[in-house]
Amino acid sequence: MSRPVLEVSDLSIAFGGLRAVDQVTFAAERHRITTVIGPNGAGKSTLFNMISGALKPLSGTVLIDGVDMTGAAPERLKGAGLSRSFQITNLFFELTVAENLRLAAQVLEPAKRALLPIRCSTRAQAKTQAMLERFELTHKRDELAGNLSHGDQRRLEIAVCLASEPKILLLDEPTQGMSHQDTADTAKLVRSLTQDVSVLLIEHDIGLVMELSDHVVVMHQGRKLAEGPPAAVRADPQVQAAYFGHA
Amino acid sequence: MLDRLTLSMRASHVLAALLVVAALVLAVVGSAIGDTFYLRLATEALIFAGLALSVDLLLGYSGALSLGQALYFGIGAYTSALVLMKVPSFWLAMGAAAGMTFVCAIIGGLIANRVRGVYFALITFGLAQVVAKVVYNIRDLGASDGMIGIPVIDIGIGPFSVSAGNPVGFFLVVLVIIMALYAATAYLLDTPFGRVLTALKANEKRVPFLGYSVWRARMVCYLAAALIAGLSGALYPMLRGFVSPELMFFMTSGNAVISVILGGVGTLVGALYGSVFLVIIKSVIGSWTDHYLIIIGLLFMAGVLFMPKGLIGFVRPHVERMIAPRHLRETRAPEQDAPLKAEEVKP
Repeated sequence: MSRPVLEVSDLSIAFGGLRAVDQVTFAAERHRITTVIGPNGAGKSTLFNMISGALKPLSGTVLIDGVDMTGAAPERLKGAGLSRSFQITNLFFELTVAENLRLAAQVLEPAKRALLPIRCSTRAQAKTQAMLERFELTHKRDELAGNLSHGDQRRLEIAVCLASEPKILLLDEPTQGMSHQDTADTAKLVRSLTQDVSVLLIEHDIGLVMELSDHVVVMHQGRKLAEGPPAAVRADPQVQAAYFGHA
Repeated sequence: MLDRLTLSMRASHVLAALLVVAALVLAVVGSAIGDTFYLRLATEALIFAGLALSVDLLLGYSGALSLGQALYFGIGAYTSALVLMKVPSFWLAMGAAAGMTFVCAIIGGLIANRVRGVYFALITFGLAQVVAKVVYNIRDLGASDGMIGIPVIDIGIGPFSVSAGNPVGFFLVVLVIIMALYAATAYLLDTPFGRVLTALKANEKRVPFLGYSVWRARMVCYLAAALIAGLSGALYPMLRGFVSPELMFFMTSGNAVISVILGGVGTLVGALYGSVFLVIIKSVIGSWTDHYLIIIGLLFMAGVLFMPKGLIGFVRPHVERMIAPRHLRETRAPEQDAPLKAEEVKP
């Protein structure tokens, strides 16, 4: 088996005296969906922020594709093949759907094209078109991202993350605030992503987690409580006590 | 793929072409009736339009408000003046002004780009005030009087030569240079790098997660804006024959910001129109009363209240609609009037 695309070891951070994330270790295998779950305040988003460069960890290491990227700036992590979405939709609302996508796809262009007219960025154009089609946003390409429905915005957010052809995609609650139907569609979408990328997910919808994940990491009060295949994690009495609350 | 920025840029180009036509008409009429006053006034308006253009590049595209852009205008003007006193060469003066502005902007940019928002505005303001006060107190630079007696030069363009003292000739030279600066800025914004700038304005926090260095983009934008201001400033002593520390004062920076807001933030061509408008108003009202600043202040307030997108921001959507291909025309029309459109019903 090839080396995991993302290896996190002993990652810790403290805010004041509080150890928000305490020595967390796990790995995300290629073309699999790894999900981090845990009650509110367990440190999931903080963990995400450290892996994606938004926060510098106090100690521990983050390896992407075997390369040490601990504490690297987000733009460098992007180069290493890591892409992330946000829990609260974080798009360029004043730009159109197509512009949002192209902005993300532009990193695929060779650097020398950065100062040529944008129509020369053919690779970014093609990628934008492909993403519009894949995410069924073609008919909305010229709409402002801020005018889209919530479900479309969440989908666009995933498309934007994917447009740069990352190796690993971090999705922070992609179904947050979605209707039942949209959640089901998104689950299908996330499952289809594994053809191209590895996915690290934060998700609250337990049903979805169990159905979607290949590997589950359970966090509780900043620490890793358990990890394993969904069924095994669900059966773990410790997890049931901490997370499901009715052991 | 034609997108909104490309489309609105094209609309700006139409309006810029209109401005050039108006300028050419003025040049023809002016030279026919032997006018000097209006041609020199228009030249001055164009020079300050260059400064406004640099403010709009920063404010309208990367979202950074500079309250001290006159610093680079002044550095360009002083460098040009110093060169012209020694060697009366137009191209040397322009080159030296560009080089000097660039070096100063690297230093200024390293300081100002450590912060953003209001703090960026305050740092740029402070930098300009500090340098202006220093210049104000250096005797070799003429101190508070500035430097006078800058020779009238001949500008060699290939086989031709135009005297800076010739109102029509110099007006046309300035027109070409300012429009070239406009074209260069428009070109920059139509590149992938330019799109990163617009992304900075829209949502700066997201930009690093797309893989772009925010610092680098802001720095390049700052340098480009400084160069535009410096090159415009370099033209000033050729027109007026003197430079003074006032060129770096807040009044100059503030006028550029007012020009941009009156003309329309983020339209580029609005900076040019705004500046021309402001210079004309100042001159016309100034000939009636010394208290013209009151009227300009009132005009500014009225503009912000009733025409928040500025003169060009108001006119340009109409131009866009005229030149837009059909698929963009349909989606553009409603959002102009209703930015908070209700969510569409999903099928």
